[in-house]
Amino acid sequence: MKIYVSGLYSGGNPQPGVGIVRSLRQGYPDATLIGVEYNNRVSGIHWSDLDDLWVQRPWDEINLEAYADKVRSALDEGGLWISGSDLEAMWLASVFPDGHPNLLAPPAGAMKRIAKPAVEAHRGLPVKIPTYVSTDLPDWELHAFCRAHNWRVWLKGPYYDAARTPSWDIFMAARAALTKVWSTERLFLQAHVSGYEESVMLAAYRGELLSCVSMRKRDVTAEGKTWAGDVSEVDPAFEATLREMVRALNWTGGGELEMVRDPSGQLWLLEMNPRFPAWVHGATIGGHNLPATLVQGATGVPARKPEVQASEFTRVVLEVPVRDDYPLPALPEPFAGAVGHSMKHPSGLTSLAKRLHKSNPELLEIVADGGPAADGKPEVPESFLADIAAYDLAEVETPQFLYFETTAAGLFKRAADRAHRLSTNEVEVVSGYSIKTNPDERLIRLALDNGFYGECISLLEVHKALEVGFRPDQIILNGPAKWWPEGMMPKERMHAVFCDSIADLERCVAAIERGDMSSRHVGIRIRTPNVVSRFGIPLDSPDTFAKLVDAVGRLPKDTAFGVHFHMASSTIGVAGWWHLFESMLKWCRSIERLTGRTIEILDMGGGWFPDDWHSDDESKFAKAVETVKAMLPAVRQIVSEPGKAMAQPSMALAMRILEIQEHEEDHVEAVVDASIAELPMYAFQPHRILRQCGETGALQPLGRGKTHLMGRLCMEHDIVASNVSLPEGTRAGDVLIFCDAGGYDRSMSYVFGRG
Amino acid sequence: MYLAEADGAAAGRGETRAAPAPKASDRWESFPYSRFSHHGRACCDIAREWVVGMDFAQLNGGDLTSGPRWLREKYKWGPSPWPIHWCEAVKRKSIDCGAHAALALEAFTGRGLTAFPAQVVQKYSEDSTEQWRGKWAEEDVSCHWLDGEHIYHEVTALLVGEDAVKIWDSSAGSWIGPRQAGGYGSLVAIRIFADGQWGGGDGLRWGERRIKPGTWVQI
Repeated sequence: MKIYVSGLYSGGNPQPGVGIVRSLRQGYPDATLIGVEYNNRVSGIHWSDLDDLWVQRPWDEINLEAYADKVRSALDEGGLWISGSDLEAMWLASVFPDGHPNLLAPPAGAMKRIAKPAVEAHRGLPVKIPTYVSTDLPDWELHAFCRAHNWRVWLKGPYYDAARTPSWDIFMAARAALTKVWSTERLFLQAHVSGYEESVMLAAYRGELLSCVSMRKRDVTAEGKTWAGDVSEVDPAFEATLREMVRALNWTGGGELEMVRDPSGQLWLLEMNPRFPAWVHGATIGGHNLPATLVQGATGVPARKPEVQASEFTRVVLEVPVRDDYPLPALPEPFAGAVGHSMKHPSGLTSLAKRLHKSNPELLEIVADGGPAADGKPEVPESFLADIAAYDLAEVETPQFLYFETTAAGLFKRAADRAHRLSTNEVEVVSGYSIKTNPDERLIRLALDNGFYGECISLLEVHKALEVGFRPDQIILNGPAKWWPEGMMPKERMHAVFCDSIADLERCVAAIERGDMSSRHVGIRIRTPNVVSRFGIPLDSPDTFAKLVDAVGRLPKDTAFGVHFHMASSTIGVAGWWHLFESMLKWCRSIERLTGRTIEILDMGGGWFPDDWHSDDESKFAKAVETVKAMLPAVRQIVSEPGKAMAQPSMALAMRILEIQEHEEDHVEAVVDASIAELPMYAFQPHRILRQCGETGALQPLGRGKTHLMGRLCMEHDIVASNVSLPEGTRAGDVLIFCDAGGYDRSMSYVFGRG
Repeated sequence: MYLAEADGAAAGRGETRAAPAPKASDRWESFPYSRFSHHGRACCDIAREWVVGMDFAQLNGGDLTSGPRWLREKYKWGPSPWPIHWCEAVKRKSIDCGAHAALALEAFTGRGLTAFPAQVVQKYSEDSTEQWRGKWAEEDVSCHWLDGEHIYHEVTALLVGEDAVKIWDSSAGSWIGPRQAGGYGSLVAIRIFADGQWGGGDGLRWGERRIKPGTWVQI
């Protein structure tokens, strides 16, 4: 019996080939085991259980047609083939779409139905698929996906590779890297599932499940790969549905379902691999020799019964002799000035991927989770288009911020209406406009006209709000620098003052006693204990909490007490913010119990992404009000501070293209007259970009492509947009409009490079 | 646990037991689970409220039945003197398993879950217990929890579902699985303190086992 086994890579993220070979040797001591590899650097070729080697040229060199003929001959001559590589298995499936009696790998139809991330074949199994989206979607929607999942998301390649992307800049960098490695933009973002990892390995022949075994990871490498595990029988109910699935797929070969079990016990299927896993021999140690069972099922030749050595296994690092006929190849020279030897994917798997999806693009199709594939072009609100139409862009001097009058008015009115609807006889809900998000007078006036309070972090902001028309009793003062600049503190009674530290509290108490400050409410800002923040009074140790309790006791008794907490929901994610909200209410309740002071005003919010704040779903806000009433019955007013949600959509940045440089392979660099000085939030959030057609005047949204928009500054990092596509006919002088620039882009923009 | 109670429990064992084949848990047959003392003043109220507030904050929106992993990050496992008050325990850098388990119990119940104190006996080696004996002696803390190759350890049982429990080892920051292979570090016996509706009937389900509350169950 001759058995070819591939996938012999044995580094930190090993392939299963060596484990398969070890198991086959136990099951069939006399079989001829031939190792198949595509690079003589792969250390598994030196494993002593191998009788012979079939070392081919790397995938980027190999003649696939000629190699397919050789494989066919080997199979026709009676050799069995167990693939230990996903991509090789995919290639074999394309060569033998209906299988071959001796090819112990899945047929093409089955491969398609286990494609990541949907794993369509999973239906029936007691598992869920973690939520995902294709990166075909516009950046605007990808950012929304990340926020919705608290930035606990993975950007995954089509076959291998995954990167945690906890922020937008990391996402953009990871997307660029994975796109380059795998020669495709078809990646996907998937929500992280916390829990313990476990797998089910199976062996099947022509749709008949021969055996399966369960493994829980008990130790993992830094990459999260199995280092130790325990094996056990598969739950009978799971096995029954797996049997049906295998039959429906007409599966042949090894396979693995990689899963996470969350704290509630729910299993989440991360992926299904068309091969045995690298821990395959760990199961053999536990008495489940699936490679031998597979060969037995395919040939009818009985395998030696495995000996149960232990139900747990672990790995060790071994040095083995190098074969005389395959001496070690030279280690490539590091790139000049670089660190280390770039040795990933030595057998050229990425090249095989490129060749495979050129010949069969369907392999890369990501079944969208909730809709067809998109073209990367964002939807732009009608009100934006109407506001832009009010400008004669030909006459606009660029770069220039465009104020979206009707959009801004609509946003403020909507927030005011919502606050009104959420208010009850017991609790008034009001909005606060954070002046720092954009101190433009037009926006401050809209806030005033719509019943907002003015949220200020300095006395300059207080005076700006007063100048626009706010009364002192409509001002909320907070932040660590509320006394800056000296001498500008209003003598009149403000609505609320929140102390940012114990020192700040002591200063405020003293000022109130002297009559230098007056406020209807005086309270504290509390620092988020589980999210890094520099603001507020900390709670992170029992001592600091005790100091906070003590400090609250020193607040004047003739003012109403309040609590303020802010954290950017766009940074920690929407669900994360709501958890923080609930957590903060619990702290508030503790503070009430321990100090005897009841909280009458609650000021919460900060950093809401506009779409999350203005969402039509009001139920979360309504529930939040109910929760406050239940937990803190003395609260009479809730100030919700949406932060940039009001300002960000209210302005856009118009700029002109100065020059277009065309490079190899359709890469384009277009220089614009704006820069990161006007768009400082470029790395933190996407902007919806429009180009005005020079001929028709039509506004065209920019999708994804190979163009980088380079700012006007002589600064290496002055790139205001990456991987966009300019519509056909774009030329120097055309106007581009970066929407969503009315928040911190506007308020933090600075003068630079203007002489 | 209280030092005096612990010593008393250990000393009394030999006088009352006559069984020829003692079980590993016999030494701790009448041993109580650990509870913090309370000064009856604000200091201990603040400490207790802080534990519950911090625990919920640390959940980060995760499942309520997640283990309070943060406790092991905050407090190393090591000797701690008994009796100990809430306000003293939360300020220590290291606490023993009894204090860890008491904090985990407070965390779980603070989330609105049902949890029970639990005790286990684990097998290590005489070399290990000698090391621990030395470390505890250095701090002048009772070594009543060490007995040859066995150790007494405190954990927390979390009710999940109708009558099933999961066992959280706060000192280790991990769940103890019901499947035990024996050997170094393995579980030898377990006792869960649950009264009320869980005190009768077949007991609590832990994996394939039934654990009758208040009774040492040999694994």
